[in-house]
Order: sequence, then structure tokens, then C-alpha cells
Amino acid sequence: MNAPLLLSDSANLIMAAVLGLFFGFFLERGGLGNPHRLTGVFYFSDFAVPKAMFTAILVAATGVCVLSDLKLLDMSRVWIIPTFFWPQLVGGALFGLGYVVSGYCPGTAVAGFASGRIDALVTMIGIGFGSVLFAAVFPWIEGFYKTSSMGQITLPELTGMNHWILLAILFVLAGAMFYAMEHFGRGKGLRASRTSVDKQVHVTA
Amino acid sequence: MKKENYWSPYLSGVGLGLTLLAAFVIAGQGLGASRAFAVGAGSGLKAILPMYTATLAYLSPYLERSPFADWTFLEVSGLLIGAFAGVLLSRGFRLQFDRGTGVSIGMRTLTAFGGGTIIGFASRLARGCTSGVALTGGSQLALSGWVFVIAMFASGFLFAAMFRRLWS
Repeated sequence: MNAPLLLSDSANLIMAAVLGLFFGFFLERGGLGNPHRLTGVFYFSDFAVPKAMFTAILVAATGVCVLSDLKLLDMSRVWIIPTFFWPQLVGGALFGLGYVVSGYCPGTAVAGFASGRIDALVTMIGIGFGSVLFAAVFPWIEGFYKTSSMGQITLPELTGMNHWILLAILFVLAGAMFYAMEHFGRGKGLRASRTSVDKQVHVTA
Repeated sequence: MKKENYWSPYLSGVGLGLTLLAAFVIAGQGLGASRAFAVGAGSGLKAILPMYTATLAYLSPYLERSPFADWTFLEVSGLLIGAFAGVLLSRGFRLQFDRGTGVSIGMRTLTAFGGGTIIGFASRLARGCTSGVALTGGSQLALSGWVFVIAMFASGFLFAAMFRRLWS
């Protein structure tokens, strides 16, 4: 195997749809089309998002390290997401605001719509509008958009550390996070107190 | 609240991770989502206002070909069908306007559209979203992915207090 495969354009487009099928299926099955679940992490009531997200990152990252070390996958031919430090920091922060307000992100809004949520469709329309709005104001923000370009830089390149050591650090950090989340979930300390506070609010209101 | 029969998020995460790995191996790129919205909305705008759309230099790479020849647009079309299959298999389909208790439909429309607008704008600025930058970049151990993930969660926790009433 010499991956990435060099498929014809049409075969590559068919594979895009097939990969999307699995992507959507796993998102929905993880409950990631449900805005209450999606925002739950920010209220310490549901940790499905970080659990699914960091599990996915660890699985894919481990696969990349194994396959590229075995010379089965040539990562120099895979599109690495380039870094634009400040635009991605500001973009990520703005994204967090939009996520809390709408209850979705782009992929999960589509999954939410698939499960019959009309509010997810409204969010999708908003995302389309926001994308076009960006294009409309682009001449005024082009300077900022292009600042702090660092190219397709990875953490192993940036830190000079071996990718297995970085991966091990990630496993330890994510493992500690998962442990803390399970502990929160089982103890129900925060969740229970929050529910009772909400009930009191409803009674007094 | 109706009892949901979702999978464990860890199991869902393993599935997502393997799908992402398959995308690297098969297509030489990760999974995306927000690009499809730029392609879709850009194509819609082009159909309604072709002259104006032609002046938007930023959109031109997104309008080079038909949406149905765009990798991410097709991937997100597949996502819609895959999620629908998941909902049907678990008999979870329910037409609803999902929102927190005490949130009116008018308010929910506003938060869904307004939040969506911010997401659309932010995704363009960051060169992608939770799929294209956070998941894909994160698993490539790319700096971009981790900058985005940290900024998104930090900001989410910061703003969550302000918008608590929307989701309680």
C-alpha cells in the first residue's frame, strides 16, 4: 500500500460521499446532533463532545503515526492544515461564542437537521450567511486574515520532540481529562446541584 | 425529557477517528464541514446576484466548479444521509424546534441564525471548523488544530455563563 491513494477525480468524489456517510452516522450515534448534549460540556452537565472529539483525535493520530512509521502512509502527500496563528486564535474564540449561542457547529448542525431539528436548519442557513458575509467584508480584513502565517507546521516540528512522545503526552492528558469527566458524571455532584437550583428557579418563577 | 439511546461517546469517537484516518489514506486530506457552507451559500448567491458575486474575490476558489464536484460539499451531503440513517436505525427522528426550557421559538430562531452567522464567519477566518481544523489538524498534530481547539473551548466556557438561560 502506498497511501494516500491516487484515485481518479470521480472516484475521489464518490469516496468523499462515502466517508461523509460514516462521519454523519458516527456523529449522530454519539448524540452529537443534539444541541443540549453539544453545549453540555460548557455547563459541566454532559461531556460527550470532548470525549468523542479527543477519542477521535487520539485514534486518528495513532493511526497516522503507525502508518507513516511503517511507510504505508506518506504524510508529505496529505494536506496538513496550515497555521495562521492569530486568525485561528481569534477565529476559534469567535467560533466558541457561535457554538454556545447556536448549540451547534457546522457538521453537527447537519447531523441535528437530519434528526428532525428545524433549529439546526436555521443554524445551517446562518452559517451560509456568515460565510458569504465574510466574503463581503474580506477586502477590509484581508490583512489580518493573512497575518502570522506559519505554514503547514506540526507540533513535532515546532517542539523538536518525537511524534510518539507527543502522542504519549496527549494520551496522558486526555486520559486524565476522561477520568475527571467520568468522576464528575458518576458523582453527579455538580449536575445534581445544578438541577436542584434550576428547579428552585422554576418554583419561584 | 425523552430518553435518548445514543452510543457511548467513546465508541462514537473511535468511529469518527477511523473515518478520519480513512480519509487521510484514501483521499490525502481530512474531513471538513464549513467549506461546504461557503460553497453552497456562495453558489446560491451567484444564482441570485451573479454580478455582485463576481466582485467577491474571496469566493472565487469556492465557485470554480459545481458544488457537486466539490469534495467537501459531497462529503457533507453524505454526512446528512449518514446521520439520517443513524436516526432511522435508532428510531430517534422527531421533527422539533430544539431549545432550552423557557426559550421562545422567536428567541431560538434568533440564537440559531445569529450563532450560525458567527460560526460561518469564524470558520472562514480560521480556515475551517471543528471538523476541518480541530479534528483534522488536531490528529495531524498540526499547530493550527490545537490553537483552534484551545481558543474554542476557552471562549465557550467564558461565554457559557452569559448564555446559561438558553440551555438550562
